[in-house]
Amino acid sequence: MSEAAFSTQPSRTGRRIRRAILIAFLLVVVVVLVLPLTLTQQAADANLDPTTLGIDFAINKSIVRTETTIAMFVALAAAWNLIGGLTGYAAFGNVAFFGLGAYTVGFLTDKQHLSFALALPLAPLVAAAFAGLIGVPLLRLRGHYFAIATLGTGVAVGEVIKNLDVFGGATGLFPPILRHADALFFYLMAANAGLAVVVTWLVMRSRFGYGLIAIRENEEAASVLGVNTTAYKVGAFALAAALTGLAGGIFAQWSSFIDQESVFPIQYNVQMILMAIIGGAGTLFGPVAGAIVLEWLILSLAGGGASAVYAQMGLGVLLAVTVIFVPRGVVDFFGGSSKLSLGYFRRSLRETSV
Amino acid sequence: MSLFVQQVILGLMLGGVYVAVAIGFSLVWGVLNIVNLAHGALVVVGMYATWFLFTHAGIDPFLTLPLDAVVLFAIGYLVQRGLINRVIRAPLFFTLLLTFGINLVLINLFLLWFKADFRSVTTSYSGAGLNVGAVTIPYIRLAALVIAMLLAGAVGFFMNRTRTGFAIQAVGADKDAAQLVGIDLRHVYALTFAVGAACAGVAGGLLSTVQAISPTAGEPYTLQAFVVVILGGLGRVSATVVGGLLFGLIEVLAQSQVPGLGAGWSNAIAFAVLVLVLVLRPQGLLGRLA
Repeated sequence: MSEAAFSTQPSRTGRRIRRAILIAFLLVVVVVLVLPLTLTQQAADANLDPTTLGIDFAINKSIVRTETTIAMFVALAAAWNLIGGLTGYAAFGNVAFFGLGAYTVGFLTDKQHLSFALALPLAPLVAAAFAGLIGVPLLRLRGHYFAIATLGTGVAVGEVIKNLDVFGGATGLFPPILRHADALFFYLMAANAGLAVVVTWLVMRSRFGYGLIAIRENEEAASVLGVNTTAYKVGAFALAAALTGLAGGIFAQWSSFIDQESVFPIQYNVQMILMAIIGGAGTLFGPVAGAIVLEWLILSLAGGGASAVYAQMGLGVLLAVTVIFVPRGVVDFFGGSSKLSLGYFRRSLRETSV
Repeated sequence: MSLFVQQVILGLMLGGVYVAVAIGFSLVWGVLNIVNLAHGALVVVGMYATWFLFTHAGIDPFLTLPLDAVVLFAIGYLVQRGLINRVIRAPLFFTLLLTFGINLVLINLFLLWFKADFRSVTTSYSGAGLNVGAVTIPYIRLAALVIAMLLAGAVGFFMNRTRTGFAIQAVGADKDAAQLVGIDLRHVYALTFAVGAACAGVAGGLLSTVQAISPTAGEPYTLQAFVVVILGGLGRVSATVVGGLLFGLIEVLAQSQVPGLGAGWSNAIAFAVLVLVLVLRPQGLLGRLA
């Protein structure tokens, strides 16, 4: 099957539809960005007395929380895309960086009584330094070896931190609560998500980015052409770690309680990969779209008890369907290189089956 | 001194469990080039099967092992034929994601059916052991070690002495050449995964006698099976046996002899072993360089 069979020229109506979608999308972005301000203003108006705030306030609060969580996953998926999508290294342990960032802020604010504003900038630095440290031995590995070694990193770092009493041990850490800062946390998370997209955009246009893509396509060839593969790979890994660590640092202060379970959840590893792949790994906006859609789905499906079980099961089924039928992500046909049709699914299936 | 001997014996017995868990994992990885993240969940299927037969039919847990193997063989064949064969030629992390998805579905099915309760299989001989001087050898763990070795022997025999085993090895070595001489790839892939799953079932049956059964009880074993295979080297049953026993020894000795390390450190120890081996001897102790 040649590549040409997949690509069709977008028609004029197709372009018009795409422009309309883009405008609608920008409107939605503006609304989403302004909403938390108006929603949380109510708290200040009510003179900080929660009893005078009705059910509306609770709903508004939960909308802001949903938006903040989604922004967080946009950053995680976009950061994963740097090492997994662009460089082609199947990193399965990015949650280690999230947890390290969270524990950096948690430790400094709870145990060292540093202010959040001073502690936060250190979160990405710690995460990136750790990524540089383990990246040198781990990024020599390929394929499954790298995937599982990073998976092990995520598990092991969480376990080590849990066993060290300096970091609160099994009890966890309690950064001092910042009251009525819902909007602040949303804008911090959104800024980090925006930063992740901008960084990806800059990387994709730079010599560094071309080097990463060359490594993904053929590492030996890239090396022969003069790409310092070790430095490039470790650089991409550390960059992804910094963005992930920053998200973790914001999360620590936002949730005002962290322990091993809450900041080293193994399923985050796979969620960020799934988001990037559903959207389209290696593209600029694919991971963003994937994160928004998938995290919104997860948050609206997940309640407590049995529905959480069904939500997890749905995630598993979604994983299977995605890798079998849309391995190149939805950006592939919304971005215009292929048309969405039954034939597309059939070709995807045939391409990878025995 | 006798304490040290006791630790070594316990380590070897724990290693026996690791051998049982890792054999199927190693086979699937070596032949299909799939790192099966659902392996731990398949082990748990075996645990629940043994628990069910023991509790509701009163069958001795060790006698349920062949039944576990049959059930898991069937599940494994269907999963590979119906799902994993569909992405076998895709980039490798698609198979990782697919098997992770299968893992997620299985764990949540367990949660629906059995809830998050801990269950156990307790027989009349569960607490008994053989006393040699100051050293105690628990019967159940001894039996688990012996059965793990028999399982390894059986898989080794199957792979190196039977026509089907040769076919599997041929596919693992060069699938295009294997297809040219008339081997049905889809069937052999499914068969390999089925044998791997059957081994996981036997391992699960063994584990149900020594630990609590819960939906997520199998999760640590996927990482540990991986470490065992890395430690021993990919592609040979004997390498998995050595890797498993050695890993059991390392874990027990590290937890008992190194001050500050306790039962809470098993994943960190596994990871440390993994990184050390990958950096110092990536082909494993008995492996050959690819």
